[in-house]
Amino acid sequence: MATKAANPLGEEFAFDIGGPIAKYWVAVLRVITGWWFFHAGVTKLIEDGLAYGYGPMYMEGMTGTALGPLPVWMGQNLAWLIKPGVPLFETLIGLGIMFGVLTRLAAFGGAFFMTLFWVGNADFAHGVVSGDLMGLLLFVTLAALAAGRYYGLDAVIEQMAFVKRHPKLRYLLG
Amino acid sequence: MQETIIDTIDKAAMALGAGLMFLGIVVLGIVEILAGPPYGAAPMTNDAGDIIATPMFDPALRTGLVIAGLVVLLVWQGYRMAATPDQEQTDQQVEMAAD
Repeated sequence: MATKAANPLGEEFAFDIGGPIAKYWVAVLRVITGWWFFHAGVTKLIEDGLAYGYGPMYMEGMTGTALGPLPVWMGQNLAWLIKPGVPLFETLIGLGIMFGVLTRLAAFGGAFFMTLFWVGNADFAHGVVSGDLMGLLLFVTLAALAAGRYYGLDAVIEQMAFVKRHPKLRYLLG
Repeated sequence: MQETIIDTIDKAAMALGAGLMFLGIVVLGIVEILAGPPYGAAPMTNDAGDIIATPMFDPALRTGLVIAGLVVLLVWQGYRMAATPDQEQTDQQVEMAAD
């Protein structure tokens, strides 16, 4: 009598990297993460325009962190960039991630922001793993998985002759 | 674009990057728990707000290790990007006679 080993995880529910479920979920993750930053940025733009004064103040208060004197120096000397930069870059990063355009570059920007939030919001009463670190890891994950290639415009952009002539660009796209 | 991980530098960067992150989050987290309260990474205070116990490791050290790990991964990707020849890929399959 023929027998067949039953493997409930080995059939259509298997999470195969490159398979349809992986692509689908990476795209879902990308759009929601992008919306998160887009919402944060665009609401600042609506409320404060390009003069987000809390940004430099926040950074000036980042004393005694792992980033040393860098954020404080930035808050004191780069206010001209931070005030318009925070709402503008958050919005652009969100759009890039949502639509999968320059995904890896946008994810780097998101990870940079989240690093500042993670150490700047420093409460750590429940350990160093906080929601901010999870947000940071989300951006790194999107970059590592080249999330823009799954139902994102980077899949189209990477097929362009210009990108094919300059494969280095795939480290910023993807 | 390099799609494969073959280089010793690749392997070393992956090990160092993940190793620093695990050290900052997991390893020092375990030591922190074994060292007793506070189990988190922030000082414990009483109702009056006075600090009654401090963590064994400064959170700046632990977050710094994680950031260092991320920087290693970023530099590694920069290295891979720089190592990618800036010319059109002309991958061709060449038929070889079987031995």
